[in-house]
Amino acid sequence: MKFLSYIVIFLFGTACSSEKDDYVPVTLENPKLEFTVPANFPEPSYNVSLNPPTEKGFELGKKLFYEGRLASDGVVSCGFCHIQDFAFTHHTHIVSHGVDGALGTRNAQPLHNMAFMKEFTWDGAAIHLDLQPIIPITAEVEMNESFSSIIKKLEERPEYVKLFSEAFENQKINSENILKALSQFMIMMVSADSKYDKIERNEGSVFTEQEAAGFELFKSKCASCHAGTLFTDQSYRNNGLSVDPQYNDLGRKRVTGLDEDLHKFKVPSLRNIELTFPYMHDGRLKTLNDVLDHYSNGMVDSPTLDPVFKNTDTSLGILMTDLEKEQIIAFLKTLTDDNFVADSRFSEF
Amino acid sequence: MKKIILIIAAFLIVLSCKNDDNNNGGSDNIEKFGTLTLDFSNTIEDKTIDLERGSYTNGSNETYAIAELKYIISNIVLITSTGEEFKYPVADSYFLINEAEESSKEISLTDIPEEEYTKIRFGFGVDQSKYPIESGTANFIPTAEENGMLWAWAAGYKFLKFEGTYNTIGSTTSNDFILHVGSHGANLDNYKEMTINLPSVLSIKEMTTPNVSINADIAKIFDSINTHSLEVKSDVQVDPVNAPIIAENVSTMFSITNVSN
Ligand code: HEC
Ligand code: HEC
Repeated sequence: MKFLSYIVIFLFGTACSSEKDDYVPVTLENPKLEFTVPANFPEPSYNVSLNPPTEKGFELGKKLFYEGRLASDGVVSCGFCHIQDFAFTHHTHIVSHGVDGALGTRNAQPLHNMAFMKEFTWDGAAIHLDLQPIIPITAEVEMNESFSSIIKKLEERPEYVKLFSEAFENQKINSENILKALSQFMIMMVSADSKYDKIERNEGSVFTEQEAAGFELFKSKCASCHAGTLFTDQSYRNNGLSVDPQYNDLGRKRVTGLDEDLHKFKVPSLRNIELTFPYMHDGRLKTLNDVLDHYSNGMVDSPTLDPVFKNTDTSLGILMTDLEKEQIIAFLKTLTDDNFVADSRFSEF
Repeated sequence: MKKIILIIAAFLIVLSCKNDDNNNGGSDNIEKFGTLTLDFSNTIEDKTIDLERGSYTNGSNETYAIAELKYIISNIVLITSTGEEFKYPVADSYFLINEAEESSKEISLTDIPEEEYTKIRFGFGVDQSKYPIESGTANFIPTAEENGMLWAWAAGYKFLKFEGTYNTIGSTTSNDFILHVGSHGANLDNYKEMTINLPSVLSIKEMTTPNVSINADIAKIFDSINTHSLEVKSDVQVDPVNAPIIAENVSTMFSITNVSN
């Protein structure tokens, strides 16, 4: 009788062996993580049900995010350019530095609330968060790597073989799972715990007089583009920056090829703006004061300049007094989320 | 009694595994599967193109030589005379055709239900609008990357890479041409799907190795529904006007020349 049972076990073991990948049933626990939409946030753009974050998937995504092996020099990880203390920007650098000190042409964007964004990068060159990492990984001026080579490097590391097999049902180390794990990590990076949020959700905080005045000014002067609780309408616009001949960055035109998109960039979210200096797509402005000076009297006209900035008296920009600028800046600082930048779930160590 | 249960258990286990192999989820267990090879030929005036010595003339009277020709074929579907469709598993359905590499021009498909098929449908490029709902596009990245079929600056695929040199009429200096067609951003999607009638019935059977020959008439890239002149535009990369024109032409260049069962 025992003998027969062995046969059954044996058959069970071999019955599936004709399949391409040796499937071993996952017995380990891999609990789902709760993805919570903050009460004052819109519905996410990312379809979380198609790549539901799990404990292991998140852990893997985080490990990959801080993994130098994703770069050709073994050093430049995602976390090298996206530093948590500065809401995941590369703040010491105006434009990003990649492998061998290669200079990019753009300022690293903050990573927060990615699940709520529809398109990615300053010009929308990635239409899905899962696809976005293809750009830094393969770009010469960033990580200068290839997926085939990363897959090989990861397959050599037992800790990754284990994590991939725990995180994904098909247990494979492949590009899709690499990208999905990175997304699981990034979509969990929700920043919604600033003073502004607590006020918006009626959690007991109140604006100071200065901040309240700043908020009113912001609503009338800035919120047409920096709209809603994400502080962006996710459109592409030209806010009057002069063209830097060193880069001659085409902006959105690079993606669409359309002249009407020349020098337009994605309206950035202003959350954690106090921490994400320097500012603008090429990091040309060092402080929030510089930004407001740009809006009041630094604008350059061009065919694609947003009509909002063209005043009836033919002047350009947004009229603001020094006091008003101070008030707006005071308001912008209420968007800083200290808990987010200190959240150990997202830190390397 | 126990013996019988064990035997039944063993039998069920074996059966349940077999089901994992059919991707169309057919519930009846007697369904059988066969294989199919798709052979691609890239021709101009019915002759296979010659990357070394070929010299061709397009409808705009420009002579050209081809240095590189690559394109992506995807989302293969076989259709029966009653309109029933067998969709090849999307994740395994991305192929790169590279004129310079013979093996790339022969696509082998497996686990196709035994059936008589009268039409084939396939895509040119990668349908990114479906990502990630129909996953699998991401696992084509390494192949695309090795073949230079990813844009370096955007997260997307080049569907067609067609490069070489050309002369305009009467001119002796040759210039380079670069025609890259793909999709970038959400607005410019040049993915195309073609449904083509088979000249005779394709019958898939368990032990046979049928073959469908697909001809790509490369001259049509320049001259078909639209005319593309290299003098007008020899460098098409991110081009909202010319890339869609070329993609439309590509969608007309395929025909099925032979079915052998
Ligand atoms: C060399 C520095 C560098 C590295 C390394 C890097 N990034 Fe970035 N990241 C940038 C820059 C610069 C941008 C803006 C790119 C642009 O607009 O073209 C950016 C943009 C992004 C965005 C878009 C954010 C938004 O709001 O649209 C995401 C997401 C992102 N990076 C994730 C990653 C991930 C994941 C990795 C690792 C695989 C990574 N980055 C590695 C510099 C870097
Ligand atoms: C017409 C739309 C529009 C209006 C109105 C507008 N902005 Fe902007 N803002 C943008 C765009 C687009 C950018 C990115 C430009 C770039 O980098 O090329 C930007 C960038 C910024 C940045 C830099 C963000 C970063 O991450 O680098 C700050 C800060 C900012 N705006 C604040 C304001 C304030 C304050 C106001 C009101 C006084 C305002 N904006 C009004 C469109 C607008």
